[in-house]
Amino acid sequence: MPNVLEVTNLTKEYKKGVRAADNVSFSIAEGEIFALIGPNGAGKTTTIRMIATLLSPTSGDAVIAGNSAAKEPDKVRECITYLPDEAGAYKTMTGIKYLEFMAGLFAKNKEEADMFVNRAANMCGLGPRLDEKIGGYSRGMIRKLLLSRAVMTRPKLAIMDEATSGLDVINALDIRRTIKRLAAEEGMSFLLSSHNMLEIEYISDRVGIITQGKLLVTGTIDELKAQFECRNLEEVFEKVVNTGVQDTDRM
Amino acid sequence: MKFGSLLKKELGGLLTPQALISMVFTCVLLIAMGQIMGNTMDESFDTSEINVCNLDDSDYTKDMLDNLSEYGSTAKPFTLESDDYAAELERLGIDNLIIIPEGFGDSVLVDKKPAEVRYVCKLGMGFGGLMKSTSASDALSAIEASVGDSVLLDSYGLSEEEIERVNSPVLTVEYSTLNGKTAQVSSSILGSVLMTQSMIAPFVIFFLLLMASQMIMTAISTEKIDKTLETLLSAPVPRITILTAKMVAALVVAIIDALVMVVGMIGYIFGMMGSVGEEISSLSAEAASGVAADMSDAASLAQGMMDLGLTLGIGDYLLFGLQMFLSVLIGLALALILGALCEDVQSMNTLLMPIMILVMIPFFITMFMDTTAMDPVLKTILYIIPFSHSYMALNNLMTGSMIAFWGGLAYQIIFLIGTMFFAVKMFTTDKIFTMTGAIAQKKQQRQAAKK
Repeated sequence: MPNVLEVTNLTKEYKKGVRAADNVSFSIAEGEIFALIGPNGAGKTTTIRMIATLLSPTSGDAVIAGNSAAKEPDKVRECITYLPDEAGAYKTMTGIKYLEFMAGLFAKNKEEADMFVNRAANMCGLGPRLDEKIGGYSRGMIRKLLLSRAVMTRPKLAIMDEATSGLDVINALDIRRTIKRLAAEEGMSFLLSSHNMLEIEYISDRVGIITQGKLLVTGTIDELKAQFECRNLEEVFEKVVNTGVQDTDRM
Repeated sequence: MKFGSLLKKELGGLLTPQALISMVFTCVLLIAMGQIMGNTMDESFDTSEINVCNLDDSDYTKDMLDNLSEYGSTAKPFTLESDDYAAELERLGIDNLIIIPEGFGDSVLVDKKPAEVRYVCKLGMGFGGLMKSTSASDALSAIEASVGDSVLLDSYGLSEEEIERVNSPVLTVEYSTLNGKTAQVSSSILGSVLMTQSMIAPFVIFFLLLMASQMIMTAISTEKIDKTLETLLSAPVPRITILTAKMVAALVVAIIDALVMVVGMIGYIFGMMGSVGEEISSLSAEAASGVAADMSDAASLAQGMMDLGLTLGIGDYLLFGLQMFLSVLIGLALALILGALCEDVQSMNTLLMPIMILVMIPFFITMFMDTTAMDPVLKTILYIIPFSHSYMALNNLMTGSMIAFWGGLAYQIIFLIGTMFFAVKMFTTDKIFTMTGAIAQKKQQRQAAKK
């Protein structure tokens, strides 16, 4: 499978030399679900924001479908969608108007926009409530709407920061299944970030553990469990973060 | 298509039913306030009926009161039961009373000395109350004129023609000068006309600037607070398109809002000045009577304004519009920058303050002070504020101060380029996210240091 995303030595340095992301390198293949995990303030969101072209890297680059995030951000935005952590939607709009508005920003013509909206409307499962104002939606409904918005355009790479945070079990399961199905059936690639280890273990093909701006290890769940002699991802995470041990091939 | 979608979304966000109701409500409220204040002023200026308690039973006083209508008033009789004036006004349910004491007629006719009249007025509080506290000279003008004429007629044996000459011994012909030009027009009437004009233009600028700045700041900060900005900025739309859509929407809504406000303000001013307007008309006739009949009509006033160069052509109005537009763009650019720093609703209100101050300072200074005769320090401060030049534009154009006008315009253009460059840079780079982060970080460091 060709790589959709190639991240090479991506670094973001703020004033006073604080490095929120420090030489981060990884790749995501077509149809792959890659999860970036790490403690609070580890640099997950900064890395994701650089890939989503919201932050410009101090050095290094992220190439998405052959386009450089640092040099060609406009082209990159055509290949990706981004669902930020705790993202909201326009409260005064109805659900369907919101989808129409967002589809209008991505589509090349009216037909394509209509297609995007139909796809999202079917996927979100909100039914007649799509005609209601978003201000009256529950958190789960908003998240479902935003997720369907993020995948309606069939992006090459969908970036999702805490895709299921704050959702009840049923809604979270629903969203996880949707992500898995889209990757398997439509070949869509996902870059996820989450604190929920069970979710990551269930959903991801590969995982990268980041702490203090450095990506310490990457691999499949089974590879990491075997490498660190742990029973589950949670134990791997604890071991890696506490010891700061780095993947030997990355060293 | 993308710009259209963005513009539609921004307009939808700003023109909510709540915003429209608030706009119409404010307009109606202003008009109603103007009417109420106008009525209060009308009542206070009205001396066509005066309250009189006549304690003098002489024929002279009775005749004088019966013939007051010749002097524009009628006497409404009242009877006092005690010398406690406060209690008596309360009992009679009136605000003022003229008391003609016993022996008034004899003082005029026999003693030939100024006859005493008492004027009692209940002092009110607040605008309406104070306006009702009519001065003695207003209330007694008819009695004074009547007694004066009778003295001239009876004691000095003057004819009606001679009395008229004594009452109006001087014929005033008023001229006004401005910038070396002279016109035969009353400066007080001209001043009143110019004051009405110079009140409306600053209100338009004031509302337009405040509304536009508030709109754009709300648009940006709401996106940040509701966490929709990141989604929007990661969409395949040039940032400059997003920025332009926000600015155009804010401008359109601000213009609508300002127009509604101006309708309300005009309603307020004219409602309040209704009676004063009539006063000005009568003053105009009085000033010009007997001298030049043509000076009492609007045409002569217009001629006077033309002679003084106080009339504006289409080109002048276009230049005024241009300067106003520049001010609004500066306001929008400043609000964009400040809006990007907002973290919550509270910080949005705080960050709007600097713009409000910059809009309000020149508004009040130009409205209540003569900028040409101002203290140099204050003048410098005024000139540094970019919005001031729009407030002064109309006067500069009217008085032909073109150096001041073009200088102000040039300064505004330079200021606009600077602020717009910074605003665009914030939006097209990651500063819109990193600046707030840096401020929050500093805040945290300060709090940590305090602990």
